[in-house]
Amino acid sequence: MIGKASAPPLPPPPPPPPPVGHVVATELKPATPYQFHFWTANETSIGIGAIVRVEDPGNGERGTGNGKGETGKVVYGVVTDGFAYSDLATPLHDVVGAEGDPARAAESPTARQEIRLWTAAVLRQIPEEPLQPVPLGGVHVATDADVARALRMDSYLGGAHPTAIPVGLYTSGGLEAPVYLDADFLLGPEAAHLNISGVSGLATKTSAVEFLLSAIFEHFPPHKGRIAAVCFNVKGPDLCFLDQPGTLDAEDRRRYERLGVPAHPFERVCYYAPFKADGANLNTLRTHAALVGDVEPLVWGLREVLDFAEVLLNRDDIDAKADAFIDFLADRVVDKEFADGFGNVHRVTTFADLDKLFRAVFDGLELAGRSDTWRTHHIATIRKVRNRLANISTRCKGLVADDGPSNDLPWGRFEDRAVYVVDVANVDPLGQDLVFARIVSKLREHLERRDLGVDAVMVFVDELNKYASADGPDTYVRKMLLDISERGRYLGLVLFGAEQFRSQVHRRVVGNAGTIVFGRMDSDELATPGYQVLSPATKTKLATLPIGELMVRHPHFTPIFVRFPRPAVLRGRDGVERFPPAADLPFEDAVVRQLVKLDRRIRPNQVKDLIADRLEQDVRRALATVRQTHPEDPLASLRRLLGTRVAPEPPPAREAVPPLTPISEEPY
Amino acid sequence: MAAPRSWKDAMVAAGAVAVSHVPEASLGRADIDEVAGAEPVEDSGVAVHAVEQGAPAPLTIRFLDGIQLWKVVYYDGVLPIVRAHVAAAVRSRGADRRLRTADEAGRDCVVACVAALRPAVRAALEASGLELVDLPQDEVSQPGRALEAARRAVERARVALEKQLGERCAERLGTDEWLVVDGVLSESSVLAGHPRALAVIKSHAAQYFAGPELERALTVAPGHRTSVFRPRGRARHEVYSWYQRLWPWEGNDVLFGLLRVEARAHEDTVRAASRIGGWLDRERAPLATPDARWDRLLYPIHDVETYLKARAPRDLLSAPGSRLPKTGT
Repeated sequence: MIGKASAPPLPPPPPPPPPVGHVVATELKPATPYQFHFWTANETSIGIGAIVRVEDPGNGERGTGNGKGETGKVVYGVVTDGFAYSDLATPLHDVVGAEGDPARAAESPTARQEIRLWTAAVLRQIPEEPLQPVPLGGVHVATDADVARALRMDSYLGGAHPTAIPVGLYTSGGLEAPVYLDADFLLGPEAAHLNISGVSGLATKTSAVEFLLSAIFEHFPPHKGRIAAVCFNVKGPDLCFLDQPGTLDAEDRRRYERLGVPAHPFERVCYYAPFKADGANLNTLRTHAALVGDVEPLVWGLREVLDFAEVLLNRDDIDAKADAFIDFLADRVVDKEFADGFGNVHRVTTFADLDKLFRAVFDGLELAGRSDTWRTHHIATIRKVRNRLANISTRCKGLVADDGPSNDLPWGRFEDRAVYVVDVANVDPLGQDLVFARIVSKLREHLERRDLGVDAVMVFVDELNKYASADGPDTYVRKMLLDISERGRYLGLVLFGAEQFRSQVHRRVVGNAGTIVFGRMDSDELATPGYQVLSPATKTKLATLPIGELMVRHPHFTPIFVRFPRPAVLRGRDGVERFPPAADLPFEDAVVRQLVKLDRRIRPNQVKDLIADRLEQDVRRALATVRQTHPEDPLASLRRLLGTRVAPEPPPAREAVPPLTPISEEPY
Repeated sequence: MAAPRSWKDAMVAAGAVAVSHVPEASLGRADIDEVAGAEPVEDSGVAVHAVEQGAPAPLTIRFLDGIQLWKVVYYDGVLPIVRAHVAAAVRSRGADRRLRTADEAGRDCVVACVAALRPAVRAALEASGLELVDLPQDEVSQPGRALEAARRAVERARVALEKQLGERCAERLGTDEWLVVDGVLSESSVLAGHPRALAVIKSHAAQYFAGPELERALTVAPGHRTSVFRPRGRARHEVYSWYQRLWPWEGNDVLFGLLRVEARAHEDTVRAASRIGGWLDRERAPLATPDARWDRLLYPIHDVETYLKARAPRDLLSAPGSRLPKTGT
């Protein structure tokens, strides 16, 4: 073999790390296929939530520590409880030893023998059959690969179509291993929906969802198509600054890098907010001059409201008569030439038109001295429906336009990896219900027809205990949430719900959530029956969980604690400090701002001169038309529209919203 | 003057001390009933001295103890064959107050009178590879005597192991480290002559005083010690000694909480006795419960014993099962 250099010998593999504990089993604390106990040194990195690996020592007493165990059987577990005790027979002996003086108790020259005994729940056994009690072997701290195997992530981390979405970092004993969710089980079709619970005020729920949305946008499997998110901002400025960078420290950036998620704010965010009652200033906290230009007004007219009239009616209102009359209005009156039977012909396209019709009917009945019935509908029913519809245009003034065109989300033109924020934080609860019901129904409708523009939509709703309460009234919104929870995964309509008290959310909504996330929990909440499966130690940890740490339960694994970086977006509270909301502008200035947004060449005085002495409602209607048509010369268009009475825009052909499928009584 | 309520009150009134329990260990060994005798070293007789309360203990102390476990595993005819395990360990206590094993040794053996065994049994035993400890034939004529002989053989093995380990430890002892032995120093010249070796003796079978001096020695108050004396009698190597009380004996037994301490026979020992007594006094805590001898058993010694038992062969530790005849086949 002269002249043929032999390859240098490979360095020997590093010795396997020594075990950190050893499984013990007694008659009172036996090892089972699902649970085992082990002890560690007093100084150990093991804690509640730690993932460990047990190797079967085989017939020999001492394992080889080769990472597989002598028999090849490996068991993975997660620590659920911990105990420490000494050889002290009774507390009285400590008192005697210290002669009753607590100060002397610490002065004893020898520290008593102590034990750190841990209880772990089995996550996985390899091989999985036959399922046997955990062997009394050495316990090792899990490595990255162990974590993947223990949590069964290996099935979706690799392969031709990986579906892994990072949710956070499992940290224990100096190890930091990414934990992934399976997109098929988070976003459908296998399972879907995410529910997150936690006490208010720590920003954990919102932060976790923001980070998870970033992770999904980055790691959503290409073969699953396009995805977008619709977030309802129901309180404060929580979601008002998703496009602005937040403050991250080096640790956060390192975590982002470890999880493979870019540490930058969302690139495509569209904000929608209704107007305030003046119809000119937006009802949102994102009104700083530098940002308000991105906010689209959310304005709906009669047609949009009438389709969801059921939302406006409480249980007592919904009777067959009112329902029939609303159907009559929707089918026979709205957007049609309609003769009232008293010699008048109406074309009802707005609330104002509808009110004219009602007045004409009441006057006609009174003058004619006829009976109390009009077109088979009793006048009391007509009055009730009129009151309810008038009520919505009053309570939700700004969202619901009495007249003029509507402005809505870009149905059919949703963009991939875009977030649509609908700010209803300052809207009347009735209006919130209406917004929520209509947007989710439209999403469902478009996803069924596959013409939304994306293949899947995540809908983030905070305060779920308000919208889908366990013991509240059976509202239209709750029915709809149940429908999403039970059937949304087939459509790609995924609910990300958050609430403070999970026990107060309808059990079919939380029960259908494939992925459950817990932030810091209230102790009272943890005492409710839904948390009985958690060990006392896990409950205690949940009650004291720091910001940035969560417990995640996913169909592939039992609960595990993970840490996630702060979201890379500006937090709501910081946002309102950096971008303080602008004071409401006078009507003229608000009109100027909206026109300047369309054409920066427009000068304020031109607009003010144009709208001087005009009725505000005329200006609002004209402005809405300009905003919707996007003319080349907005000012000229406004001038033209204000020159005569602005005719209402002909409504689009009505697309019937399919009724909700009757909801099954099956719980899941 | 009111009459005493009962004879018990009368006894106490007369100066007797009421007690309620006599520990088994206080009965002592039945084979030693003579007074060994003692030579005063510190004082002319037995005086009582207070120990130095709060005297600092050495930073590092090593504690030595041993165990012996044995059980009859076979009978060859009426000859018992005993399986035995002896072990000893040194556990070291440092600044963190935790005990860690510094050295240990163990022996497993079979004790029997080999010459009296039937050839086949003897051959099987010799082929087993186990260490055999032979008993003299004249000691095994009766099963009871044979068992006593086996017990003594196991005890000798344990004492030898402790001595071996103690001497090894003493040779390696650092200049500021001490060795505390459960038992006596006088069995080993190395230990008996070491300046930082102590022995704590819990059993008081051998007595060194009589009369008023004995009373003074055995009723010494807690936190006090007797004068240093030189024990006479069976001691192989000369040591100094003193009695020291850890816990009040009133209400218990006169030997309750009473230790005898052995140290090098040197004038430095006399000078240091109260100081050593001071840091030994602090060893009362933590209590060595649940051991019944907790009043005299230092917790670190108890710890060594626990450690050794934890590592001993399981079959020698297991609780005896039912001795009812087995049913079926």
